Amino acid sequence: MEPRILKDTIALPYQWALGPVNTRFFQEFKERRIFGTRCPKCGRVLVPARAFCARCFVPLDEWVQVRDEGTIKTWTYVAYSYVGQPMQPPYVSALIQLDGADTAIPHLVAGFDLSNLEEVRARIRVGTRVRAVWREDTEGTILDIRYFEPV
Amino acid sequence: MARKVAVVGTGQTRHGKRQDVSYPEMIREAVVAALEDAGLGWEHIDAVVCGSMPPPMEGTNAPHLWWADAMGAGGKPLLRVATCGTTGISIAHAAYYHVASGLFDVVLAVGAEKQYEGESQGTMTTVGEPFFQRQFVAGAPGVFAYQCNEYAHRYHLDEERVRAAAAEIAVRNHVDALDNPFAHLRQRITVEDVLRSRVLAYPIRLLDCCPASDGACAVIFAAGEVAPRITRTPAWVAGVGYAGEEHWVGDSDKVWWQSARQAALQAYRMAGITDPLEQLDVAELYNPFSFQELIFYELFGFCGPGEGCRLVEEGVVRRGGKLPCDPSGGVLCTNPIGATGLIRVAEAAMQVTGKAGAHQVEGARTALAHAIGGTQQINGVMILTSLD
Amino acid sequence: MPGKVAVVSWAQTEYREAHDATIREMVFRVAREALDRAGLTREELGTVITASSDYWQGISCSNEYYLDAAGGYLKSGAKAEEDGALAFMYAFMRVASGHFDTALVVAVTKGSEIPPLATLTHLYSEPFFQRPMGIDDVNAAAMQARLYMERYGATPEQFARVVVKNLGNARRNPLAFRKATLTVEEVLRSPVVADPLREPDVAPGADGACAVLLAGEETAKRLTDRPVWVRGVGWSVSSYYLGDRDLLDGSLPDAARRAYRMAGITDPRAEIRVAELCEAYSFQELLWCEQLGFCGPGEGARLLEEGVTAPDGDLPVNPSGGVLAGNPYCARGLVRIAEAAAQVAGRAGEHQVEGVRTALAHSYHGLAGQLHSVVILGR
Ligand SMILES: [Zn+2]
Repeated sequence: MEPRILKDTIALPYQWALGPVNTRFFQEFKERRIFGTRCPKCGRVLVPARAFCARCFVPLDEWVQVRDEGTIKTWTYVAYSYVGQPMQPPYVSALIQLDGADTAIPHLVAGFDLSNLEEVRARIRVGTRVRAVWREDTEGTILDIRYFEPV
Repeated sequence: MARKVAVVGTGQTRHGKRQDVSYPEMIREAVVAALEDAGLGWEHIDAVVCGSMPPPMEGTNAPHLWWADAMGAGGKPLLRVATCGTTGISIAHAAYYHVASGLFDVVLAVGAEKQYEGESQGTMTTVGEPFFQRQFVAGAPGVFAYQCNEYAHRYHLDEERVRAAAAEIAVRNHVDALDNPFAHLRQRITVEDVLRSRVLAYPIRLLDCCPASDGACAVIFAAGEVAPRITRTPAWVAGVGYAGEEHWVGDSDKVWWQSARQAALQAYRMAGITDPLEQLDVAELYNPFSFQELIFYELFGFCGPGEGCRLVEEGVVRRGGKLPCDPSGGVLCTNPIGATGLIRVAEAAMQVTGKAGAHQVEGARTALAHAIGGTQQINGVMILTSLD
Repeated sequence: MPGKVAVVSWAQTEYREAHDATIREMVFRVAREALDRAGLTREELGTVITASSDYWQGISCSNEYYLDAAGGYLKSGAKAEEDGALAFMYAFMRVASGHFDTALVVAVTKGSEIPPLATLTHLYSEPFFQRPMGIDDVNAAAMQARLYMERYGATPEQFARVVVKNLGNARRNPLAFRKATLTVEEVLRSPVVADPLREPDVAPGADGACAVLLAGEETAKRLTDRPVWVRGVGWSVSSYYLGDRDLLDGSLPDAARRAYRMAGITDPRAEIRVAELCEAYSFQELLWCEQLGFCGPGEGARLLEEGVTAPDGDLPVNPSGGVLAGNPYCARGLVRIAEAAAQVAGRAGEHQVEGVRTALAHSYHGLAGQLHSVVILGR
């Protein structure tokens, strides 16, 4: 007998609390300001702002504004697609270290023709300087920055 | 002095697209094979440890409850451990500590995945938390492509050279898989095929990337006192190491990757390994993407930082070389993720006990098994040896 | 023989309908507090074992989200899924093996962020036979309750008495979520959820996190003047399909037998002074008491009615209010252990039971109680 397959789809609702630190972060973000928190022990500025330093295991409460410009720490050109993918390929996903931060955040790099990988490779590499391109109508989510563009 | 523990039996399913069997049936295949290999009956198993990738991947919550009967776990202690990509090695670690603690003498470890039953990349994207990272983390290839690009830049390596070495690793894994009857991808490919295959997430191309597999693996661990009565060829657990880092992918260095370093160093310390290239005979590395393997050579001390390509170019890491890596064909040819780390342990045990068949590395005595997981967040290592 | 292991400290959040903090922040709070109470730094900590589950968090590989918040940066560790009590078992084994001197166990669930328990436990059902029939944790428990009534003549009034006792106990537990002064009649007038279970018979989902610090013998003595020794552990699973098992004779007796044997307990009713049980449904407290050997089959209600399990009885059960007072799902088992440890250490505050030398903590997950665990703690 031909083995059979049962098909179904599961969709479930979730509603994650941002918590006080993320709420404050995104309130500032909505105003196009980016904040980290400085660890009193190791001195690092951790971006996005957070409630504790995982290494020193101490609470953090010193908020430090960082710039909306930074450096590409690493990147990839995403050319494949799958069910549940948040972005439409092709796109460039990158880890960006903002000026004033000791950590990097993942975001998009765009603002130029992304259809050809070789042209993308010619435009960006590790170390490329980028700056945020903000949405006109910010809402307080990480996508208030539409993408980072090479400076 | 900690209690000695050995692997006394291993079993694997044929890996690949396994729509011929249900999830529990597939698991049963591996468990029966492991029991046969050890010459043990169900009644000899004192406890069971199992795991897989996130349950949303196959759509059944707490799947160990469903698997319990297939694993013969009824009336026994059962523990599900799940640590993302490291799940398989975490299962082995848990089984090891079950025995090392003195609570149990013989423990069955089971890892499984049925990637064809769900959306694995979609699920893995949800490893990123929803506020900052999920939007940008493009499944596993996207995350690990970050690491590959950063690697080439860090050591000022010519990108073409790195791509060639990675392609060579892909070819070597595919050739080796032809000698492994359990392997999923069994096809001969060339360096040109790899370099010409389509880009998934630059620099990772289709043939640099593991397949999505269905499959299961079972490994039986036994206490030092009983292992020699079960088998003439116990594979002793000589070293165990594991480390994780921050959730934030951008918080720590993924090239000189501390969790991988720490996991290996813990295991080396326990196993008394000071010169891994000399003291290890085989390594089953977790290489879902060819490039990553270069980084692991360096992190595990097979060579210095930035020297990974050289090991490939000089043939050190191929069969016949000083330290053959992934003679099974590796993760690159077979990746039922929740089983994958445990398959590394099984393969390492098979190698050091001379049971690896056509892909046996001549005279292998000590082998390293490894797995990674999370958004470049965690690493686990286990070292097995036939040396008493 | 396993090495001696003790609970040296613990910490809990309040259990609430919703916490403002993220899971990371809740985990950091309890992990930090448990370490601080023992005077242990994160650097000194040996290993970290956590419990959570992906469907119960909406974040896959759920522990990767908070392992650093639990103190796990560059530490060996793992996650035991679904039940914090099983994470405790694993941590116990790691310390007992002599490889680690200390182990921090952390468990967390935010019920407020996820689909209802019935939805997520409906997915416990495999897709072919049980799932199309709508089987979930609540209706499986209801079937178990019905069978319990038919076989032993148990009554909804008796179930209601468990609710009255436990929610009453919860009034003396500042961390409890649901606490109330109820009458049996009030419970019996509440809406039916799944006959014979009414709304107060079903534990309410809650947000909460719990951390427990374990240490080997010498370290334990150094870290606390009141080590709570882990004297016995046992866990066991039964068959999966509800129709394959006797719902009144599952794996709990086996789990208990293992823990008792290790602890040298032969007469649990006499030797155990207090028990924290996982009564996610009121009637289960009666059934679990029987299966733990506190009384014979069908005698659970008598134990309750005679006041044995009341806070001032011979063997108080759930002086904290139990799971009926709040069900932070993956954390509920570890909470039982923390509460039992607090009782042994004499640090349970207002709900302290007098003269506790030996305490039992129980947990389970799986439909109608498929996978049970038992821990015996003592001075
Ligand atoms: Zn710090």
